[in-house]
Amino acid sequence: MGVGLWSLVRFLHVTGAVLWVGGQLALSLVVLPLSRRTLAADDRDALAARVGRRFGILTAALFLPLQLGTGWAIAWHKGVTWASLGEPGYGRVLATKLGLFALVMLAAAAHGWAHARHRPDLARALAVASLVGSLGVVLLATALPAT
Amino acid sequence: MNELDNGPRADGRRQLPLLRPADAEARPSRFKRSGVRSRHLRAHILVAGWAGLALLAATAQSTLPVARWLAVHLFLLGAATTAIVVWTEHFAVAMLHAKLPDQRWSAVRLAGVNLAVAGVLTGVWAELPALTVAACAGLVTAVAAHLFVLVRLGRGALGGRLAPIAAYYRTGTAALIVGAVLGGLLATGAAGAHTHTGLRLAHIHVTLFGWIGLPVLGTLFMLWPTVLGVRMHEATTATARRVLVCAGGGLAVAVTGLAADLRWAAVAGLAAYAAGLALALRLLVATVRRGRGPVSVAAAWSLAASAAWLAAGVAFDLVLLATRSESAAQDGVDALVPLILFGFVAQVLVGALTYLLPVVLSSGPKERAGLRAVLERGWAPRLAALDLAVALLVLPLPGPAATAGTVLAAASALAFLALVVAVLGHRSRPDEPSRTPVLLGTAAAVVVTVLAVLVAGSGGTGGGSDVAAGQPGGGVATTTRTVAVSLGNMRITPSRIEVAEGTALRLDVTNRDAQRHDLKIDGGPATALLSDGQSRTLDLGTITADRKGWCTVPGHRAAGMTLDIVVKGGTGSGATTGTDNTAGMDGMNGMNGMHSGSQGRGDGSTATAPDLAADFSHGWQPRSAALPAAPAATVHKVELHAMRRTVEVAPGVEQEMWTFGGTAPGPTLRGRVGDVFEVTLVNDDPTMGHGIDFHAGSLAPDKPMRTIQPGERLVYRFRAARSGAWLYHCSTMPMLQHIGNGMYGAVIIDPPGLAKAGHEYVLVSSELFLGTPGSTAQVAKMRQNTPDAWMFNGVAAQYDKAPLSVRAGERVRFWVVAAGPNDGIAFHIVGTVFDTVYKEGAYLLRPGGTGGSQALDLSAAQGGFVETVFPEAGHYAFVDHDMRHAEAGAHGVVEVR
Repeated sequence: MGVGLWSLVRFLHVTGAVLWVGGQLALSLVVLPLSRRTLAADDRDALAARVGRRFGILTAALFLPLQLGTGWAIAWHKGVTWASLGEPGYGRVLATKLGLFALVMLAAAAHGWAHARHRPDLARALAVASLVGSLGVVLLATALPAT
Repeated sequence: MNELDNGPRADGRRQLPLLRPADAEARPSRFKRSGVRSRHLRAHILVAGWAGLALLAATAQSTLPVARWLAVHLFLLGAATTAIVVWTEHFAVAMLHAKLPDQRWSAVRLAGVNLAVAGVLTGVWAELPALTVAACAGLVTAVAAHLFVLVRLGRGALGGRLAPIAAYYRTGTAALIVGAVLGGLLATGAAGAHTHTGLRLAHIHVTLFGWIGLPVLGTLFMLWPTVLGVRMHEATTATARRVLVCAGGGLAVAVTGLAADLRWAAVAGLAAYAAGLALALRLLVATVRRGRGPVSVAAAWSLAASAAWLAAGVAFDLVLLATRSESAAQDGVDALVPLILFGFVAQVLVGALTYLLPVVLSSGPKERAGLRAVLERGWAPRLAALDLAVALLVLPLPGPAATAGTVLAAASALAFLALVVAVLGHRSRPDEPSRTPVLLGTAAAVVVTVLAVLVAGSGGTGGGSDVAAGQPGGGVATTTRTVAVSLGNMRITPSRIEVAEGTALRLDVTNRDAQRHDLKIDGGPATALLSDGQSRTLDLGTITADRKGWCTVPGHRAAGMTLDIVVKGGTGSGATTGTDNTAGMDGMNGMNGMHSGSQGRGDGSTATAPDLAADFSHGWQPRSAALPAAPAATVHKVELHAMRRTVEVAPGVEQEMWTFGGTAPGPTLRGRVGDVFEVTLVNDDPTMGHGIDFHAGSLAPDKPMRTIQPGERLVYRFRAARSGAWLYHCSTMPMLQHIGNGMYGAVIIDPPGLAKAGHEYVLVSSELFLGTPGSTAQVAKMRQNTPDAWMFNGVAAQYDKAPLSVRAGERVRFWVVAAGPNDGIAFHIVGTVFDTVYKEGAYLLRPGGTGGSQALDLSAAQGGFVETVFPEAGHYAFVDHDMRHAEAGAHGVVEVR
C-alpha cells in the first residue's frame, strides 16, 4: 500500500499529537527550568506567561481543530458509530481515549485560567496533569489496532 | 542539623548517630546537605509512588487475579524494598562510623533495584517470562551490589557499639537475594509443580521475615530508644548479636526446611526465629520503662504496634507450620499476608518515616518540627483504623468485615501517603518552587490514565471470539460437549482436551486445591478466582481452532497449570471424560445411543486429510463403474445384507463402513419401467438396527421402511413405475450417520427407448467422514458437513488410479446419483460437452440440437445421466466441479484411446 489520502490524514493527526505533547515536554523540561535558572524573577514570569499564552493560542487555533477534524475523519473512514464506541475492543479504547483527551484539554484550559487568577500552585499541578494525561492519551492511541 | 547528631542532650543522655556524625569531619556544606536531602527526597518519591500503585492495584484485586499479586509486590518489592535499600545504607554508614559511599553509585544501585523491580512486575503482569527472568537477574545483581557495599562499609570502619546492627542489614540483604531467586523460580515455573508449595512458602518466609523482618528488627534496636527519647539499654549490643544468631540462623534453617519439604526443620527454624524475636522484644519493652516523654508519640505507637503484629504473625505462622501439612499451611500463610503487610510492614514504614523523614528532609529544628507536625496529623485515628483493619482482615469474620477492613486499611494508607506527598513536596527555601503541585498533578494524571487503561481494556478483546453465540449458520445443530476440569496440585486435569472441529465445548471447572486458582481460556472466557471446592462453568462456544488455557495466578502457568484444547479431525473422544449430548437427535426415533458402544481405534492416520496422491495398498481393487444392461427379467429378486465392513476408502486409509451387501455404495440395481423389485433386507449388523428406503418405488413407508433389529429380515417389494436414476439408503435414524457411513446405493430405471451407448458407467457421489462410526468427533463432522473427502463409488480418487477406459468417437453414458448425505454434485467432464442431459426423469437436452451442457447438477438424493462423445484420444478428467470436492477426492480420469 502506498501513501494515499488517508495516510496523509493519519499523518496530520499523529503529527499534531507529536507537536502538542512534544511542545509541552520541551516547555516543561527545557524552557521553563532554564528560564528559572538564567532569568531574573520578573523576566522569568513574563516569559512563562508569554510562552503559556502562545502555546494556548496554538492549541486552541491550530491543534484542537486539527485533531478533532482529522480524528473525526479517521473515525468516519474506519466506520466508527456511536453505538460501537461502547463495545469492547476498538470502540471502547477509542471512547476512553476521547474521554481522557477531553480531561486533558479541560486540565490545560483550567491551567490557563488558574494562571490568570494568580494561583501558581494550582496552575503547575494542572499543567503537569495535562502533560502526563496526554502521554496517557498517546498510550491509549497506540492500543488502537492499526487503521 | 538534626537532633540525632546533637551529641549530648541537655539531660546528659547521648543521642544516637542516625546521620553521619557531622563533627567527625568538616561540617558539611549546605550544598552537600541538600545533596543528601534531595537523594532522600527522590528515594521517598519512589517509595510513595510504589505504594500509590499498590493501592491502585489493590482496588482491582477482586476482578483481576494478578492484581493481588501485583498489589502485594508493588508494596513489598517496590515501596518497602526501596525504603529498606535506602535506609540500610544510610544507617550502616551511621552505625559503623564509616565513610559515605560514592553517592553516584548509590544512585545507580537504587535505580538498578527499581528498574529490576519494575521489570519483574511488568514481566509477571504481562506474562513475559523472559523479562521476568532478566529482571530477577537484574534484581539479584543490584541487591548483591548493595550487599557488597554493606560488607565493604564494615571494613576499616571505626565500628561502634551499634556495629552489630549492620550485620542485620547484610543478613537481610542476603535473604532478599535468596527470595529473589526463589521468586524467579516460582514465576517462571523452572522449579516444577511438585516443589511449588514448598518454594512458595520458603519465598514468603525469606522475604517477609528475612529481607523485611531482620533490617527492621536491627533498626529498632536504636530507632526505638531514639523515638522514645531515652538512652539505649546497656545490653543492646550483646542482645543484638544473640538475636541475630537466633533469628538469622533460625530463618536459614526454616527456609531450607520449607524448600526441601522437611517440615520439622522448618518448624524448628521458625521457633528459633521466634525466640530471637522474643529476646529483642523483651529488650524493647525494657527500654520503654525508662521513658518519660517520647520524641514522637505517633512514631512510637506505630513502631510498637508493628512489632506486636510481627510477633503475632510469627507465632501464628509457627502454630500453622507445626500443626498442618505444608499445602494446608500454605492457605493459612496466605491469610497471614495482610497481617504482615498492613500490621507489620505498612505500620513500621508509617512509624519510621514519621520520625525519619523530617530528620532527613529538614535543614533546621524548626522545619523539622513543622514537617513532623504534618506527618503526625491525625495519627491516632489513622493508627486505630489501620490496626482495626488488620484485625478485621485476619480474624475469621464474614465477608463484609474483610471488605470493611480493606477499605479502612486503604483509607489509612492513603491518608498517610497524602501527608508524605505534602512533606516531600514542601518548599525548603521560600524561593524554591514547591514540588507539591508537580507531585499531585502527576499522581492525579497517573491515576486517571490507569483507570482509563483499565476501562479501555475491559470486556475482552472484542471480535466475538469469546462469545458462545457464534454458531455456524444454516441451522446446523452442533454437538455440545461438557468436560469436567479440575484445578489443583499445579495441574489442570485433564491437561489436554481433544474435540472435533465445530463442537460446542463447555468446561465445568472445579478447584480442588487448598490454594486459589482460576482458568482463563486464551482470547475467551475466564473463571473468577476459585477457592477450594468452588466451581464455575465456562462456555467456550464452538471450537474451530486449537485453544489454550491456564491459571492466571502468577507463576502457576509457568509451573504447569496449562490446558490444551486441540481440534482433532479424526477418531473419537480420546482421553477425556466428556459427557456427550448429541443435541438435536433427541426428537428422533430410532437408534439414539446405540452407537456409543463403538470405541475409538486411536488410528492416528485418520487425524489428517487423506493423502490422495498416495498409492492404494497392495491388492486393492477399484469398484467397477461399468453399468451392465438391465437383465431381461421383469421381476428382480435381490437379497441385501446390512453389515459392517472395513474398506480402503482413500489411498492407504481404511475406514469401517456400514454397508448394504458389503460395499458402499451397495449394489446397483437396474431395470425398466414397470419392473418389480423384491428386495430382502437381512440385518447382519450385530450392534444396531437398519432399514431401507428405495426412492424408485412409491408405497407407504410404515412397514417396508421400518427398522429391523440385528438378525431380522424384511421383504421390500416395489414396482418401478417411472424411469430415473434413483437413490436407495438406510431408513433408520439418525439417517445422517447411516448414509454418511455408507448405507446407500443406486437404482437405475431406463427410460423407454434409451439409445444404446458404447459404454455406460454409474457413479454414485458421496462424502467420506473418517473416524469411528458414530463417535462424537465423526458425528460432529457430519453435522458440520466437514467431510474428510468426497468420493465416486465409495472411494476417494479411485478412478485417478484406475481410469475408465473408452475409445475416441464412442458415445459414453454416465449415470450419476448424489448420495450425499449433505452435498450434491456438479458433474463435469473436462474437455467434453454433453449433448444429452437426463435429470430427475426428464431430458433436459437431446442430441440433434445446437445446445450443449457442461455440468449435471444434482442435489443430494437426485440422479440422472449425461452422454458425450470423446473427440480424440487423451486423458479426460471427470470431476465434481465444486472444486473443494474435486480437489478432495471427487475426481477421476477417463482414458480415451
